[in-house]
Amino acid sequence: MGSESSPLRQLREAAAAQGVHPTDEDLEGVRDFLDRILPVLAEIEERVPPEAAP
Amino acid sequence: MTLDPYNAFLHREEAEGDWRVGVKDVIDVAGMPTTAASRILDRVPERDAECVARLRGAGARIVGKLNTHEFAFGALTNSRHFGPARNPWDLERTTGGSSGGSGAAVAAGLVDLALGTDTAGSIRIPAAFCGVTGHRPSSGLVPSEGVVPVAWTLDAVGPLARTAEDCRRALEIMAGRSLETRAPRRIGILTRLFEEAEPEVAAACEEASRTLPGDHEPVELPLHDEISTITQLVMLPEAADAHLAWLRTRLADYGPDVRARLLAGLLLPSTAYLTGRRARSWARSLWERELGGFDLLVAPAMPIVAPRLDAIPDEYRLLIMPYNSPAALLGLPVTVVPCGFVDGLPVGLALMGRIGEDGLTLAAAHDFQQATDWHERTPVDGAGTEVLYTTDTAE
Repeated sequence: MGSESSPLRQLREAAAAQGVHPTDEDLEGVRDFLDRILPVLAEIEERVPPEAAP
Repeated sequence: MTLDPYNAFLHREEAEGDWRVGVKDVIDVAGMPTTAASRILDRVPERDAECVARLRGAGARIVGKLNTHEFAFGALTNSRHFGPARNPWDLERTTGGSSGGSGAAVAAGLVDLALGTDTAGSIRIPAAFCGVTGHRPSSGLVPSEGVVPVAWTLDAVGPLARTAEDCRRALEIMAGRSLETRAPRRIGILTRLFEEAEPEVAAACEEASRTLPGDHEPVELPLHDEISTITQLVMLPEAADAHLAWLRTRLADYGPDVRARLLAGLLLPSTAYLTGRRARSWARSLWERELGGFDLLVAPAMPIVAPRLDAIPDEYRLLIMPYNSPAALLGLPVTVVPCGFVDGLPVGLALMGRIGEDGLTLAAAHDFQQATDWHERTPVDGAGTEVLYTTDTAE
């Protein structure tokens, strides 16, 4: 655990806080997905007009 | 052991009589198991889903439950628990999904009508790959009681059948009302979706689209590059929430691909879902402003023909999402019709309408099928067991 990368540890803690306990392999897959989608999410966040309501 | 050569059925009963209807195995049928092609769900409901009850009340004979991608959460129908559905046009190829058993059963003539569900393409993909007609209804048109959810604000229950008229008949029964019919006048051709499809697929769809009566204009999808991501921002968290209890207790029992998508939804930042919902509102307003004047929007239903089961492209999901996401995100009706063949495999044309105008897309599909015979091509004999011909010999 001591050498575990911080993003993986954060994901494990976030999952555990919701009662879910994925394997390291699962979490690595999630990390890769988030690495791809989060930059696009940031761009969308910037472009969505403030008046657009959920 | 499979119940048919295509592994279309997961549960099958005697099928005498007219109007044989198969039901995707995420939709409850009284007395038949609902498994969602999973190792997790195994219930035998006492009541039909509302859509099934309405069809049964109109004379449908429910003949079984049809294969699906696990929990209808994927585009292939390759559950590791129940095995892949096989495409009747080539048993080594995928049916697509998630309503792959529905597409195969209609193509092979095992049923007259199949029910599917479409969260982000799951009726349209197998309709295109299997050479049958499929209709994703407008959001909320068909009741969802008794249906295992994927993502509540995206899910739609709809029909797959040989013809658009068969789809209309089923849809009107399930919706509990008749659908208004009028011919489209102004037709938008979604040019970028043609340009990004395989050239032979695009050519077949271009030729087919030219037969549609009306004024044709080239148009672009608003937010073309973003709409797939926006759809995922909505779909993945909703799916994770729907599965939360099982994620806590049965995580290892999911297939790897479905587990990965559910965990992604669970672990997206908490603001991502709201950003997705806000971006959907934005997309809806852009759509109305830029495309609201068109009666019909036309594109290839899929950019490729059905790939081999042992050679699914790595980028398969990324490739198909732009074709399926807009209608899913905005709740629009789409009718997919067979419109040609490439290398002996079916190609589908997507006819997309304004929300609530299901009757218009189905009417346009019916008119197309009155002028063409692609929907009459079949890969099997009446028993659904023998490959009789491909288009090479049919033509």
